[in-house]
Amino acid sequence: MSKRRVVITGMGTVNPLGHDVESTWRAMLACANGVSKTELFDASTYPTTFSAQVKGYRLADHVPQADLHQTAGRHCQFALGAAVQAWAQSGLDSFVNLDHTRVGVYLGSGEGSLDFSNFVSLLVDAWKDGKVDTRRWAELAFQRMNVHRELEQESNMVVAHLAAQFKIRGPAFNVLTACAASTQAIGEAALQIRRGDADVMITGGAHSMIHPFGVTGFNRLTALSQRNDSPETASRPFDLTRDGFVLGEGASILILEDYDTAQARGAKILAEIVGYGSSADAFRITDQDPEGDGAATSMRSALADAKLTVDDIDYISAHGTGTKQNDQVETRAVKAVFGQRAAKVPVSSVKSMVGHLIAAAGATELITCVLAIRDQVIPPTTNYAHPDADCDLDYVPNKPREAKVRVCMSNSFGFGGQNNTVIIREAGE
Amino acid sequence: MAERRVAITGLGVVTPVALGADEFWKALIEGRSGARTIGLFDASGFPCTIGAELADFSARTYVPKSYRKAVKVMARDIEVAVAAADLAFRNAGLTTRGTDENAPPTVEPKRLGCNVGAGLICTDLDELGAAVTTAVTDGAFDLKAWGSGGMNNLTPLWLLKYLPNMLACHVTIIHAAEGPSNTITCGDASGLLSIGEAGRWVQRGDVTAAVAGGAEAKLNPMGHLRQQLLGRLCTAANDSPAAACRPFDTQHAGTIIGEGGGLVILEDLEHARNRGATIYAELVGFGGACDPRGIDIASRTAGGLELAIRNALGDAGLQPADVSALAAHGTAVPAEDAAESAAWTTALGDAAVQCPAFSITGATGSLFAGAGGTLLAAAALAMHHQIVPPTVNFSSPADGCNLRLASQPRQAELTHIVVGGFAIGGQSAACVLRRYVS
Repeated sequence: MSKRRVVITGMGTVNPLGHDVESTWRAMLACANGVSKTELFDASTYPTTFSAQVKGYRLADHVPQADLHQTAGRHCQFALGAAVQAWAQSGLDSFVNLDHTRVGVYLGSGEGSLDFSNFVSLLVDAWKDGKVDTRRWAELAFQRMNVHRELEQESNMVVAHLAAQFKIRGPAFNVLTACAASTQAIGEAALQIRRGDADVMITGGAHSMIHPFGVTGFNRLTALSQRNDSPETASRPFDLTRDGFVLGEGASILILEDYDTAQARGAKILAEIVGYGSSADAFRITDQDPEGDGAATSMRSALADAKLTVDDIDYISAHGTGTKQNDQVETRAVKAVFGQRAAKVPVSSVKSMVGHLIAAAGATELITCVLAIRDQVIPPTTNYAHPDADCDLDYVPNKPREAKVRVCMSNSFGFGGQNNTVIIREAGE
Repeated sequence: MAERRVAITGLGVVTPVALGADEFWKALIEGRSGARTIGLFDASGFPCTIGAELADFSARTYVPKSYRKAVKVMARDIEVAVAAADLAFRNAGLTTRGTDENAPPTVEPKRLGCNVGAGLICTDLDELGAAVTTAVTDGAFDLKAWGSGGMNNLTPLWLLKYLPNMLACHVTIIHAAEGPSNTITCGDASGLLSIGEAGRWVQRGDVTAAVAGGAEAKLNPMGHLRQQLLGRLCTAANDSPAAACRPFDTQHAGTIIGEGGGLVILEDLEHARNRGATIYAELVGFGGACDPRGIDIASRTAGGLELAIRNALGDAGLQPADVSALAAHGTAVPAEDAAESAAWTTALGDAAVQCPAFSITGATGSLFAGAGGTLLAAAALAMHHQIVPPTVNFSSPADGCNLRLASQPRQAELTHIVVGGFAIGGQSAACVLRRYVS
């Protein structure tokens, strides 16, 4: 049996640059920037005082049955908005013959945020002799904590909300491989369809870590940019003066479908998923393998899966976080895989504009790849001013570039060394 | 090209009743319970004061000497996974960088995958509290004081202790598993989803072998609180912990939290045969499903388990009549037990009530992301020994629960065992094991 082909028929996103695909894309082509002072909580004394926040988003503006999701957490609300857009674009919302047992969900969604003020007040109020008095803590916790706020922190709850929204009954997964999660979700979702376990998969990711302990965690790791005097230029992937990533939030959702099923119902095919690769650095939890061997393995596996060579790749959407290490290692890995072609293939990071959406990053970036194919234009790496001798690829600096784009590779590398690559191709016979 | 066959060649279990496959099987057959009054923290302020703890457990003895320092940055969930992986590789007779740094690995690192299901890991309250309480003004937490200095009282690697993907990451680093690596976080369904997905990697030929399953350790104040708020814990048996968790039994009254996990080695059957490995069973079917009612916590669904079972049987090319035993999730939460029984019956019809069934939750407590891998390991052992283990605390069936459980081990001719599980939130998974005859 020949493998079933997997195509993208719908896309949606809610992110710091826009609350839908088209406004986000316009913003990227205009080199806009979504980074500003953190307003979700008082971060004024933190080492990093800024982030890429979703602003002015209201669930009810995007989701018709918003009352179904009253308990949904912030990232889940983003996911619902993005999914409703994607579902509508795919045309499945009006497809009467849809078999809901053949529709699955595979997300790379993060955990929901803590019920912060109650959580910390419990710690403070139950602190006794250098530790938490758990008896007192429990007594107070039952007064203050809410079952829904707690349940919605479980990372499978976004899957649950999407299943409820679209009445889905097929296979359902959530992965949380840190910054690689939604790329991995898309790759594995495609495999579900290829093998025939589902005909339609709702995939992508959602995350918000812009909360007091999320930023604390990354600040303690010294992973975030601390360019507090200039937030909008802080995310500068591949630039010599980069000093860390900019934490963002949002959700991006794609509808994947079996090619034949999509064709049969007359769906508009946006692109085809042709390759997926996954690997582990197996190096250290704190650092990437400096040689980029794991990242290279991921790219090579995806190329082999797609039966393509490096000459076929017209554009690489980089992980490109703006940390010293990632950008250097990623550059090295691209060179190892692409050889001579590395100098010629455009590589850009939209994180320079939208920030790092963590679990939602890869799906957001894959959407930009689809649009790059549609419009034959490559989104830029903005804030690029100072070349780094260790980062010497063509990063499409500071302005979008018209180019022939048929095949794109999108990379995501997670903290801890989980690497994932997805390759898409223009729609066609 | 035909798909490769998937052999289960190694079992790594870390449970409150036993560590390691042989000890685990012995404990299951003896019908031991791991439940007792919680000793890990003072739970006297909770309505439920019991749980199934891993006593005197540390991952230190399951990692190479050179990696011992890293145990300090492992949440307990990670320690469980690390220990289970070590036990699984050794049980399979596979040499890795982790089992012997100086010997060549049995499987080339890039052909070795890792898929470890995980849950929501809560930060240690004492660790965080020690830092948080340095940023208090007038008796209340002061975010400005936290940002300007309080946070510096946390170890720089604090975040990495609690990321769910660190279960898989530590395992890949210790054992040099450089192939595909994933972390499925789908509640109690995580373990079986991970095994099903890793089985696909082997079937397609992406890997020669993979370590897969899940681990979780929710027995801490936050984890306990969350389950208590959900109304899932047994509060009526604090004085008789061993008898508290009673899956499908007429006196079932809620679950208890256990700590643990199960990781199994899935291996290309040809490779396993060629090296003369013990093959506990073959993994021949996998299916997942969900129930759109899962967001409603009052609905107590089995996450569409009936569809997952059907999908798994279809994947294996089997009919309900081919099934010879059921390995049930069995949380002992009354409405969940009833929903699960109904799911098995809907999927299998008469076969659901004719086949012997078992659940391990009475022995281990609810293991959450650790449940599926541990249950599947129990099923693999059942297949290997041709014995259906007893269900601890089952004596007579609850209303609406008609699965054929028993309090004693039963010898049976076992050819296919279906293993099922489901998550709060509405996702489910099932795997089908087949007896391997060389």
